[in-house]
Amino acid sequence: MKKEIPLAITFISGFLLIVALFVPHRPFGDLEQRFNDWYIIVAGFTLILGVDSLLAHHWKIIRRRQPGAFHSMALILSFIVTLVWGVWDGLKFGNPFDPASTFLRYFYTYVFVSLQATMFSLLAFFIASAAYRAFRARTSTATLLLVAAALVMLGNVPKGYLAIPPVVAITGLLLAFHFFREGQETAETTMRIVYWGTALVILVLLYPVIQFLYHNLPAVKDWIMNVPHLGAKRGILIGVALGAVAISLRIILGIERTYLR
Amino acid sequence: MRNFWEQLGKIDRRIVYLFVFLGASAPLFLHVVPKFKASPEVVQAYQAIDELPAGSVVLFSIDYDAASMPELQPLLEAMLTHVFRKDLKVLMMGHWPLGLPLGQIALEKMAKRYNKKYGEDYVFLGYRPGLAAVILNMGKEIRTVFNVDYKGTPLDSLPLMRNIHNYNDIALLVGFEAGAVGDYWVQFAQARFQQKIILAATAVVWPDLYPYLQAHQIVGLIGGLRGAADYEVLVNQPGSASTGMASQTVVHILIVVFILLGNLGYYFTRTWRKPT
Repeated sequence: MKKEIPLAITFISGFLLIVALFVPHRPFGDLEQRFNDWYIIVAGFTLILGVDSLLAHHWKIIRRRQPGAFHSMALILSFIVTLVWGVWDGLKFGNPFDPASTFLRYFYTYVFVSLQATMFSLLAFFIASAAYRAFRARTSTATLLLVAAALVMLGNVPKGYLAIPPVVAITGLLLAFHFFREGQETAETTMRIVYWGTALVILVLLYPVIQFLYHNLPAVKDWIMNVPHLGAKRGILIGVALGAVAISLRIILGIERTYLR
Repeated sequence: MRNFWEQLGKIDRRIVYLFVFLGASAPLFLHVVPKFKASPEVVQAYQAIDELPAGSVVLFSIDYDAASMPELQPLLEAMLTHVFRKDLKVLMMGHWPLGLPLGQIALEKMAKRYNKKYGEDYVFLGYRPGLAAVILNMGKEIRTVFNVDYKGTPLDSLPLMRNIHNYNDIALLVGFEAGAVGDYWVQFAQARFQQKIILAATAVVWPDLYPYLQAHQIVGLIGGLRGAADYEVLVNQPGSASTGMASQTVVHILIVVFILLGNLGYYFTRTWRKPT
């Protein structure tokens, strides 16, 4: 019965909610409303569960004097300060986030917001460093990704086009050099002509490409976002949605039972 | 020479950090504000608000927190400026409880600036857990989710709320997104109740929301600090987003230059290693 009852609840709830979507009249429409109310209540309790599990986990670390116990102590202390201060101001002002409350003015604005914003702003440094180290034109697809990313990054900022002439010129010259070398190293005459021809085409097209990108960079960025990016994104979204439908049906029908463990 | 190319491919990360720090901070200290034109998606969002008749209700959903504040807070202030100037009514709620006070701070600030009265011109609903269930229930009756405002005042005692019951009474919804809540707004409020929606998202989330704009499931999409700066330009009120544009420009260019240097180093090191 330990498994059968949850499976029956899942099946009935899932089935009724699907029916309610297509038949929004009594009794199904009302049932959907009721289920949603229950869901909101259960979601409220999950917050308490989350707090309980977080505190229990860190209390265990402190009790066993495991590495990082100091951080766990800081977490529990911060939790108590936040809770007591918040409840105190809640009772005093009717809401801890009342514009006059000290909790909002001092704790939230000058401690919490600053800490969270600092943590996130560090990402700028890590992203810059990671982009420098990881974005290598190792394959043709990686090169395509690299070029698209650079164009979107530059196209999304007001004066990004200023970087276009040096960046495209260096990239173009590098590509031309690469094909020239490849041609030099190949023994086959036809391939040599192809490589050298490609290098020549790149050199000839370099100036018009720079001119085009310099004057149309935001439009190029918009095109990348609206055409290739959107096509790929939509494909992924449809795939994810179909996967979600399949897994939901498996759960409702009791085929997928891992959530019971 | 070979050593030079090798070094170019292995620049110490602290040097990268230093350049990013200088690139981000110098324009802020020098107060450089570049001139730029608003992008079409932001103009579309601006027009959607601008076309609303006075007295229409706009619901703002705060679905971000302090981590995304530099991008979304200036945008929220610019949009509130626009809404209050147009004499529209504001409802505010959120699905990210830790970010909700940021919405409240901006709302109080702008309401004070434009002499708007709580309960008549704007109402702050607060937070309820449940995300999808909250969005769905609001489509039938807001009071089933929020029977009181954030101060505990019953909604029916607030003049603005007397005639607002569900999405039919809300002209436009603006979701400020740092996560996946925007998808829920589109999937439940738009698809089930045909709610008109504008999504304002961080630069990371913004590309994910493009399909909704092209499918006309949302009427406007505003992305990142650039989107916020665009909106500040449109409401003619330059703020921290416009100031941040110079820093963002320099850092973006720096990243592209570093990527290029890394690739030059990688290519020439590899070329030299090639057996002849």
